[in-house]
Amino acid sequence: MASVKLTDVKKIYDNKVVAVHDFNLEIKDKEFVVFVGPSGCGKSTTLRMIAGLEDISEGTVEIDGEVVNDLQPKDRGIAMVFQNYALYPHMSVYDNIAFSLRLQKMKEDVIYEKVTNAAQILGITEYLMRKPRALSGGQRQRVAIGRAMVRDSKVFLMDEPLSNLDAKLRNQMRAEIILLRQKLNTTFIYVTHDQTEAMTLGDRIVIMKDGYIKQVGTPAEVFEMPKNLFVAEFIGAPKMNIIKTNLLLEDGKYYVTPFGAKLPVEGEKGRMLSEKHAKPGEILLGVRPEHIHLAHPGETAIPCKLVVNEMMGSELHLHVDTNDGTRLIVRIPTLDLDNSERNALVSGHEMHISFEGKAMHFFDPTTEDNLLV
Amino acid sequence: MKQYSDLEFLRLSKWHRFTYKIAAFFRGIPKAIASLFWTVVNLIKTGCKKVADEFMDIVTTFTKGDWKTKVSFVVMGFGNIARGQILRGLLFLAFEAVFIVYMFAGGGYWLSMLGTLGIQGPTQDYDPLLDAYTTHYHDNSFKILLYGVLTIFFIIAFIYTWRVNVKQNKLSEQIIRSGKKLKSGKDDLRSLVDDQFHKTLLALPLTGILIFTVMPIVFMILVAFTNYDGAHNGYSNNLFTWVGLDNFNTLLSWQGGNGGGQSYSATFGEILTWTLIWAFLATFTNYFLGMFVAMMINKKGIKLKKLWRTILVLTVAIPQFISLLYVSKMFARNGLINLALMDLGWISQPLPFWEDPTWARVSVIAINIWIGIPYLMLITTGILMNIPADLYESARIDGANGWQQYTKITLPYMLFITGPYLLTSFTGNMNNFNVIYLLTGGAPTNPAASGAAGSVGYTDLLITWLFKITTGAESQYYLASVVGIMVFVVVAVISLVVYNVLPSIKNEEDYQ
Amino acid sequence: MSKNENTLKRHMGLKAANRISNFFVYLLLIIISVVWLIPFIFIVLQSFRVESTYQVGYVIPQQWGFDNYLKLWNSDFKVWYLNTFIIALASAVLITVIQLCMSYTLSRFRFKMRGPLMRFMLILGMFPGMLTMIILYRVLSDLGLTQANAVPGLILVGVASSGMGYYVSKGFFDTIPKSLDEAARVDGATRFQVLYKIILPLAKPIVIYTILTAFMGPWGDYVFARYVAFGTSSGYNVAVGMYSWLTNDQIARMYTTFCAGGVIVAIPVTILFLCLQKYYVEGVTGGAVKG
Repeated sequence: MASVKLTDVKKIYDNKVVAVHDFNLEIKDKEFVVFVGPSGCGKSTTLRMIAGLEDISEGTVEIDGEVVNDLQPKDRGIAMVFQNYALYPHMSVYDNIAFSLRLQKMKEDVIYEKVTNAAQILGITEYLMRKPRALSGGQRQRVAIGRAMVRDSKVFLMDEPLSNLDAKLRNQMRAEIILLRQKLNTTFIYVTHDQTEAMTLGDRIVIMKDGYIKQVGTPAEVFEMPKNLFVAEFIGAPKMNIIKTNLLLEDGKYYVTPFGAKLPVEGEKGRMLSEKHAKPGEILLGVRPEHIHLAHPGETAIPCKLVVNEMMGSELHLHVDTNDGTRLIVRIPTLDLDNSERNALVSGHEMHISFEGKAMHFFDPTTEDNLLV
Repeated sequence: MKQYSDLEFLRLSKWHRFTYKIAAFFRGIPKAIASLFWTVVNLIKTGCKKVADEFMDIVTTFTKGDWKTKVSFVVMGFGNIARGQILRGLLFLAFEAVFIVYMFAGGGYWLSMLGTLGIQGPTQDYDPLLDAYTTHYHDNSFKILLYGVLTIFFIIAFIYTWRVNVKQNKLSEQIIRSGKKLKSGKDDLRSLVDDQFHKTLLALPLTGILIFTVMPIVFMILVAFTNYDGAHNGYSNNLFTWVGLDNFNTLLSWQGGNGGGQSYSATFGEILTWTLIWAFLATFTNYFLGMFVAMMINKKGIKLKKLWRTILVLTVAIPQFISLLYVSKMFARNGLINLALMDLGWISQPLPFWEDPTWARVSVIAINIWIGIPYLMLITTGILMNIPADLYESARIDGANGWQQYTKITLPYMLFITGPYLLTSFTGNMNNFNVIYLLTGGAPTNPAASGAAGSVGYTDLLITWLFKITTGAESQYYLASVVGIMVFVVVAVISLVVYNVLPSIKNEEDYQ
Repeated sequence: MSKNENTLKRHMGLKAANRISNFFVYLLLIIISVVWLIPFIFIVLQSFRVESTYQVGYVIPQQWGFDNYLKLWNSDFKVWYLNTFIIALASAVLITVIQLCMSYTLSRFRFKMRGPLMRFMLILGMFPGMLTMIILYRVLSDLGLTQANAVPGLILVGVASSGMGYYVSKGFFDTIPKSLDEAARVDGATRFQVLYKIILPLAKPIVIYTILTAFMGPWGDYVFARYVAFGTSSGYNVAVGMYSWLTNDQIARMYTTFCAGGVIVAIPVTILFLCLQKYYVEGVTGGAVKG
């Protein structure tokens, strides 16, 4: 159990490519932190630097207050679960889990105790004699976690542990990782490219792109107040609609004018714009698909034409084109509409949509930063 | 010539594409040369800068360092010992001591004689005790060259070690200043099986390569600039000495004979041509026929696959000298084939398998096929089975017949995967001593090319010629080493060109 | 041709064509097998021929007997055989160790000199190995390791440069996922333990391949062995010794003895090879191509 602190950590490869820029982060004891970002953003590299599998080009990594830059992985008090599980093919499940304990020269009785205990928690007791190749993907994943569990490490590192599993199994294992975390009660650093995993697992999420941290925050923070366009688009599915439009200030009140419709920015968002003295002018307006609704009669609305209607079961994803050809996605709960309304939603259907002030996000078109942060 | 965009290129007909590519290749040559030139310039530039940086670093280490560091500039390892790293310090010190002792004990002599390769050859002196002339041996050119090279290696190693020693002092000072502890001797030893494990693993193999490959090659390259041969063996008859580029002139100029009425350059040209033809034919006949056999065995519906493979693989197992020597004798003038054919009355004269130049050349290639096919069959079988079946399925649905499937799917895939192998196989065949030497020994003799440098035959490759030169009557080692350097140049040029056009190097991911 | 006939033909065609092409394939394979095996059958048959010691125009001996094998027993062949066996055994052990060290390091470690080192060795490999024989011979002779003492000399030279032949096994090591090393290191293994406990057990096929090729190499090594042992029969290996039987002045007396010797040399090597064929094929198809 330990805190992890990264100060100005930088990774520069031999060919002068900078994979991670000035990474600063303090992870508290027993915190579950998720590094998330598209592939090549440097999240795995950062994790591997913490693990000691990559050299740290600049900066320091501290675990439990001790600088570990020059320590071998085995001396850092970490455990790690790899994306492709990295089970030793020539050893049985039991030997795989016992491997690290044997290297510590532990007594076989103690090893037995620990291995069977871990196996029981993970539900793999009956497979202990098998070789990894005789296991299914989910079982291998459990063995990999078991191997990391028995080390009683200070920090638990996971590098995309679920990405090799099929969708159903992934959901199941995700829930199990949450349970595991409650049992182990240690510090977790988890790397993934899947924003759903990040949102559901993390106490805090670190969103990265091209080696830079784009935002650090709780799931709620990054969802409700994304610091910049990248985070806004990355978090949430389907992704946020971005509309190039103008911000108007009339009589102390802010308006946006997407596709000619003049929508007031009401409520808290409007107040925040005033507090920040937001300058009127061109902006990027972000609205999440689930925050767009079909316009009520009499409401200021944006006319558009339906292109594709995806029936997802509990909700409908409507892909619509506005009058200037911009494609937007609208997410409507299926039960909000009655049968005849749903049947009318075929390709080419003319319709009107609208959204409220509290659903709006404002971004500077050049810096792409959130105007309200 | 018009340059096409990618899309325009795709519209061209096959023949048009081919000519365009060739033209593009030639058009690219000046650019390639220019870029090569600039890389070299940049290399020199960065090299100079690095050397300058090193010097600056050494100077600042000295001026800013404490007294322990300063002493270490003269007494290597002093800083380490003074700071508690006894083991490292002692190793440095021991190395310095060995170096100094060596330089005084002999290294200095070898080095000073390297310019002349010896002054005094063997002399006949009158010995009053025996009342006879006895031979006294003095300098030894061979040893001077050998130990001179070794001494230079040693000096380079010493300079490098000295530099490491200086660097270590700087690092130690930094570490102490930042309040951390230095590594102890125990830590050092432990790291040799852990984070420095690669040094432990490489120590032995690289020492072997340095002493038994690098050093001999450097030595032999130098021999090419001397007159070392049987008559100048450097010790018991005459010393040998530097002759500059004379040997290269001899080999490459059109004048001068080698005794057989032909200049060395003509002989060299003839052998080189045959070497290239041989390497080309040996590589590609084996490649295609091996692939053909593999495909036959792999064919759906063919039974006993394992048996066919094992029969062929048997030939790989039997040592080559047995099979080659036996087959060579089998085809000899009075060998089994000729005798049997004559007994049967099919021929009246023995067939000149090894006596006629053309017969001999065809025979070595044919027998090489016999030797090579099993190996190629194994290699291609593995790759053929790795070609995804859906490629063929989709080709069949697209309407390709067997031959089209082969040329459009199998062959491109094979060539892509085996590109690097083909290259090594080609250069390997250029140096295929065993097959030629054991089959024909180079025969039949080419009288025009044979001479002082030994007899030369029509099937001789550069490598067998090299061997003959060194074992011939005059043992012209200098000529052998010039030929060796030439072989290197040819191989290097071919490799460089092929590597640069080989798709498997350029687009590594295409077929993965 | 009526339409009906046409479709009939199209439907019949596939099977019939297959049968015909299979017939030709079998025919070719049989011919190839015969051509490939005949010389070896001939060697065996001629090794039992008693009536003449030279080449004759027929294959099946008129008089069978073990004369040639007896002659072998009474010649220096025993010494050559022992020499070769010692060289092969020592090479198999030492070359395997050296090549595994080299290839494992180059596959797994990323150190500053790795790239230059590999390029340097590539360039070194372009020099014909024969070039270095002259000086190696002189060095060995200064060390007293030529002629009668050729065996240790040949082992030394053969082993010393074997690090250059790391390509095949490196290709194999490259296929073992790196994350296994990393997992083991996180689990607390030193680099040495990673090699010893994880990689070596997984590299069994390539270890056997390396041992096999290193063992078989010396049986056919002719040129350097000739150079080093020149003129001293007690330092010969089988290749050099038996080659001398086929020179013009010896061949008439020794031809069938050569055949008998060939059989004796080939049998153990071939049996060993056939037993380990699986690993050899794996090595060749897996590593050689990437090389």
